[in-house]
Amino acid sequence: MKDREVSSGLARRHPPVTPGGKGRFGDFDVLGQVSRWDLVTAGVVLARLDTDPQLSFFTAEEEPTVRALTDLLLGQHDEPRVPVVEMLDKRLLAGETDGWRYEDMPEDSDAWRRSLAALDDEARALHGERFSDLPPERQARIVQGVQDADEWHGFSAGHLWSLWTRYACSAFYSHPWTWNEIGFGGPAYPRGYKNMGVDRREGWERPEVDARDPVPWAERREEALRAHEERQDASPSEERDR
Amino acid sequence: MSRLSDADVRARNASAWLLPSGDERTNHRLRADMRRYDESDEVDVVVVGCGAGGGTLMQRLARTGASVVGLDAGPFWDPDADWVSDEAGSHRLYWTEPRVISGSDPVPLGSNNSGRGVGGSMIHYAGYTPRFHPSDFHTFSLDGVGADWPIAYQDLKPYYQAIEQELPVSGQSWPWGDPHDYPYSPQPLGGNGQMFVRGAHALGVTTKVGPVAIANGRFGNRPHCIYRGFCLQGCKVNAKASPLITHIPDALAHGAEIRPNCMVNRVVVDGRRRAIGVTYITGGVEHFQAARLVVVSGYSIETPRLLLLSGSKEFPDGLCNDHGQVGHYLMVQGAPQVAGRFDAEVRMYKAPPPEVSSEEFYETDPTKPYKRGFALQTVSPLPITYSEHVSAQGHWGEALREYMRDYNHWAVTGALCEFLPRYENAVTLAAETDRNGLPVANFSYSMCDNDRALEDAAQHTQEEILKAAGATETIAVKRYAHLVGGCRMAADATQGVVDADQRSFAVPNLYLVDGSVLPTQGSANPALTIMALAARCAERLAASRNQGAPAATRAGGGL
Ligand SMILES: Cc1cc2nc3c(=O)[nH]c(=O)nc-3n(C[C@H](O)[C@H](O)[C@H](O)COP(=O)(O)OP(=O)(O)OC[C@H]3O[C@@H](n4cnc5c(N)ncnc54)[C@H](O)[C@@H]3O)c2cc1C
Ligand code: SF4
Repeated sequence: MKDREVSSGLARRHPPVTPGGKGRFGDFDVLGQVSRWDLVTAGVVLARLDTDPQLSFFTAEEEPTVRALTDLLLGQHDEPRVPVVEMLDKRLLAGETDGWRYEDMPEDSDAWRRSLAALDDEARALHGERFSDLPPERQARIVQGVQDADEWHGFSAGHLWSLWTRYACSAFYSHPWTWNEIGFGGPAYPRGYKNMGVDRREGWERPEVDARDPVPWAERREEALRAHEERQDASPSEERDR
Repeated sequence: MSRLSDADVRARNASAWLLPSGDERTNHRLRADMRRYDESDEVDVVVVGCGAGGGTLMQRLARTGASVVGLDAGPFWDPDADWVSDEAGSHRLYWTEPRVISGSDPVPLGSNNSGRGVGGSMIHYAGYTPRFHPSDFHTFSLDGVGADWPIAYQDLKPYYQAIEQELPVSGQSWPWGDPHDYPYSPQPLGGNGQMFVRGAHALGVTTKVGPVAIANGRFGNRPHCIYRGFCLQGCKVNAKASPLITHIPDALAHGAEIRPNCMVNRVVVDGRRRAIGVTYITGGVEHFQAARLVVVSGYSIETPRLLLLSGSKEFPDGLCNDHGQVGHYLMVQGAPQVAGRFDAEVRMYKAPPPEVSSEEFYETDPTKPYKRGFALQTVSPLPITYSEHVSAQGHWGEALREYMRDYNHWAVTGALCEFLPRYENAVTLAAETDRNGLPVANFSYSMCDNDRALEDAAQHTQEEILKAAGATETIAVKRYAHLVGGCRMAADATQGVVDADQRSFAVPNLYLVDGSVLPTQGSANPALTIMALAARCAERLAASRNQGAPAATRAGGGL
């Protein structure tokens, strides 16, 4: 399929981009393989590097709320960020649903609007401010409250949680920067794989070289869970101040 | 069995030789030269839905010389131009028209369940093609649960063999159910398959590589698999079988017509309860295709929906619904999925997700508190699907990110549990309508106690296997897979919608050949069984045609 391949061109950057500059695979850059992808796939994937920043679905009022929410859900606290909000905006505008909804939920686009408004209502009721103006700990506690609830602002909380995380995760993990972060090989046609099996790599795949290695998985996991909790524990003094 | 020579398969079904042999995947000439019927022509057969069942039946009937038109709601796919080697970009393969889900255990649809377009859901199925076990056809007699089919395993066996040769299927010799061999040798294993085998063997659980509808080698003009792992996104290589490449090309070569992007909205029946054709919407305009025989094959949700939408004076509650059977006894397999963490790199995205199976736990075990059983298979989710697995643990934010950064160290297996058919699990029409103004399907699903016990056992067994392979942590998620039933085959009209020949009890020239006719589901992936049933149905239709009764006087629905 030689004639259908594209040259790697401008997509690569050095060092390779990962969301928030976090990753475990050093100089592994999935975009270094673009010349080995078929043209149709390359077109679809590279378009994600050039998402239109103009929002059309989310209103100016909703924008800061949805940014704060998706940053929290995906742990995107630093630049460069995967433009998840822009990706959701396009998707909701196109009405690209998963092809089903829970009987007790509104249409997806409606559910997004109403739940963003509910986040602001809740933030105002608890702290007198918009959701996006709250310190991250307070935002996180509200979000955790949704995950823990059965019912939340008229929603079945589990069904709303499913909607939020499905949209957020499928946008985030479709982006080549996250593939760099997790060491995923990305599109594989027409190249394919030659070295399959436990502990086997292609020449262009990379082992992990995270600075914290050799921290075992169990410790990394505990650390991440701790960091996650800490985001929700405002210090007592801060609570008193407010 | 029985590797037939390629020449023997080709003489029966030349599809793999009708595809181009170079870098292109579609024979555009064959499609351009396709025979086209006029709407005013009364064709012998109109088929609604060109997926597993419909695609197979069309090929068989076209070969008998019948005039056949297949209508499909989705596109006539070209793997080169339409499909991508990418998870999110494959969204258009799924049926994403609106559907509502309800019940105490609602079943998410979309990517996890049904496809659209020529080739049906097999475009994005994983590719496992096991047979049902003989016991699956008599679960009520044997175990007092489920239902007995009006046919037995032996009735289907020759069609299983024929389809296994045509796909073709590769795998190790099969010790379970009715033991048999496969036409092609097993595929090499990736990291995920190796971990599953390692753990199972440490516990004394037998595993077998396959059975998968991916030839180990070239087949006709279809190239070898390149182990790129995107089977659930449509195979751009033409290595994984689907009717688009295994049956439709041969159907076209024998004069069948495929009309893509045609959404059938009604099966039209005359005052004497005979079908006279179908109406369909394409480009926003309604058309009518007259036919002597109507075959519906739209998947377990759209088939009952279409029958319910086709009510008339004769059928006030929906077509073929005199006994309240349409849409009921819909089944879904419980598919608990377990991920295990290994210090070694697994990189499960390399190799096809369908690699290894075990049917050790398939049959009823009298020492267990539940009836029937489950099968185990490798699944190998790509990042988006795997992030759903992680987020189902409740992880979000930093924890989600850290688990995902560890993606390359995890192996994932899945089970298929035989959940039991229940009348209340059903498709009905919702108040909401689609863009054509037609009421959408509401699929209500609730599990029973036997289902829950099976699901727990299947999850526990997978955790044990992954730990035995050396996993230091396991995380599990409860999911579903494979919808079948909804218009089941039965011995009489009060128990189901179609008879043993898949002819509807109510309308003698209306047949159903998709997965909706299954009375039980076993713990096997259903596509091979759906295709085998469709091949059998076609052969019986053709035989009734050869008996030579003139069409108008035939009591039955023969051609
Ligand atoms: C992610 C996933 C993985 C799977 N993995 C496996 C596996 O490994 N092994 C296996 O055996 N099975 C697997 N399956 C299931 C398998 O693909 C289906 O069971 C099988 O394809 C169903 O066949 P069918 O004939 O009932 O319907 P389909 O193959 O879905 O065909 C139905 C066709 O009808 C068309 N249609 C529907 N309504 C209309 C209408 N009103 N008018 C016109 N056309 C219409 C649709 O567009 C579609 O093309 C998997 C499914 C999914 C989603
Ligand atoms: S792994 Fe093989 S069968 Fe699966 S999509 Fe890739 S080439 Fe096709």
